[in-house]
Amino acid sequence: MKPSRRSLRGLDWFVFFVADVQTGFGPFVAVYLTAEKWTQVDIGLVLSMSGVVALLGQIPGGALLDWARRERLVAGIAVALISASAIAYAGWPILPVIFMAAILHAAASCVLGPAIAAISLGLVGPDKIGERLGRNARFASIGAGLSAGVMGACGYFFETRSVFIVTAALLIPTWWALRRIAPQEIDPEQAHGNVAAPRVTAPRSAKDPSALGLRSLLGQPALLVFGISILLFHLANAAMLPLMGSVLTTRSSEWATVLIAACMVGPQLVVAAFSPWAGRMAERWGRRPILLAGLAALPIRGFLFATVSDPYVLVAIQLLDGITATVMSVMVPLTIADLTRGTGRFNLTQGLIGTMMGVGASLSPTLAGYVTDRFGSPAAFSALAAIATIGLVLVALRMPETRPQAAVHREPAHSPVP
Amino acid sequence: MKARPWLTVPGLTVLAVALVWTEAMAQNPQATPPPQQNPSPPSVTVLGSREVQGILGGEVRSTGNEAMGRIADVIVDGEGKPRAAIIDFGGFLGVGSRKIAVDWNALRFVPEASKRYSISLELSREQVKAAPEYKQGEPIVVLGPTGTLERIP
Repeated sequence: MKPSRRSLRGLDWFVFFVADVQTGFGPFVAVYLTAEKWTQVDIGLVLSMSGVVALLGQIPGGALLDWARRERLVAGIAVALISASAIAYAGWPILPVIFMAAILHAAASCVLGPAIAAISLGLVGPDKIGERLGRNARFASIGAGLSAGVMGACGYFFETRSVFIVTAALLIPTWWALRRIAPQEIDPEQAHGNVAAPRVTAPRSAKDPSALGLRSLLGQPALLVFGISILLFHLANAAMLPLMGSVLTTRSSEWATVLIAACMVGPQLVVAAFSPWAGRMAERWGRRPILLAGLAALPIRGFLFATVSDPYVLVAIQLLDGITATVMSVMVPLTIADLTRGTGRFNLTQGLIGTMMGVGASLSPTLAGYVTDRFGSPAAFSALAAIATIGLVLVALRMPETRPQAAVHREPAHSPVP
Repeated sequence: MKARPWLTVPGLTVLAVALVWTEAMAQNPQATPPPQQNPSPPSVTVLGSREVQGILGGEVRSTGNEAMGRIADVIVDGEGKPRAAIIDFGGFLGVGSRKIAVDWNALRFVPEASKRYSISLELSREQVKAAPEYKQGEPIVVLGPTGTLERIP
């Protein structure tokens, strides 16, 4: 069944608004709580608690989606929970409330990301998913870029809490967009990766999805290689922008804030411009060249940050992050969809890779902070670039091409007619 | 590690959570002190909100009215005398901000110009930007009133 235009547009807007909703919950939480007279110890406690939940919740979140089989409902509840936690942040900035709200937000986010990918896969099917993921990335980055601008302005001109009030109010358009996606058009078999690809050797798992557990998923060498390289990628990537922002703050006094804002929004523009194209090219050329190009941009960025000192050139280099972000936002769910075809474990595997991401991303600032304190920021950038190079080499040597061979031509029964 | 408590391992977090809760529990009984036989009237001082204010989280501006950030902490010496304020300086939506220690004497709480209560720092962004970052548990490098760096061991 070909998904309707209305559903596809609904998904566009849903992805857009979810990205908006998530903007205020990033590093801004620390700024807000500082403004609310919180001590640094309590702020650290809240941040580490939500980090732990975000990490541990990934696999249960994916498993929950595979079990519930109603992506739209789960996504709607997750958005409502995030909105409720935004209200809690804005209304009662006291420890027990914020603690619960942070946990609620982290847990709901664990479900929301995989749910979007599952809805996409359920709507368009495995043969069109590359392009669809590219389109998702475009709308997510437009959403994130716009809302960073709007929320930055809110925080500057009004109270800092206005950021969370705006976040909570975004529930209404987010739900509206979700309602436009027709639930009967989300094929539950496709959404969980149950439709066997022509080259997958074990189609029996399509009939008996419980046959494939977490252990047998981990046994797949391609998935393991992919997971480790994703971990290394995030270990190298997560600290790079904050570290660069901190360097900018020391180098430029007047324009630092504007330059950091440009560093956050600039790459989003690159993602918005190129991600659908990257999705199409992944279908045409295969996954490897696209993945390698994205991973290669990261060590280049790291080494350039280590050597260049002019603040304006730094902002230009940061645009390389756009290339990486384009590739990762498309290729991570796409590769997982490839690797889990016919297993019924698409969402569980997303949770697994999400955990690897989280481990890398949460260790990254500690590592970068340690190297910066001891040897200075150029050394930290070089160290991050070196880690990124290891990830790149790993993918280049060990990661197989995951694109199903000639899937579009050989599987007319499942692919929507173009 | 100490400077960034949110980065510590999960186990430590759980321990910290447990500690906070037990602390909160332990404090509960103290909330209702036992009634005394001959209560002497405690001395009370009333401070008007125009005279004094809490400063944690307060917004700091330079004398040139540039936004400098918010007060995240106050450093006191053995006598309880404030020595430095930790200011969360710069950044956008929390990205790229740095915690910087400035000398207590560089802060003015009722600036001459306005006569109203507001926190003003007698340093420009240009002077503050290069100061080293404040790290908990390490010697604090304080930015003095004239823009010079001084070390509190």
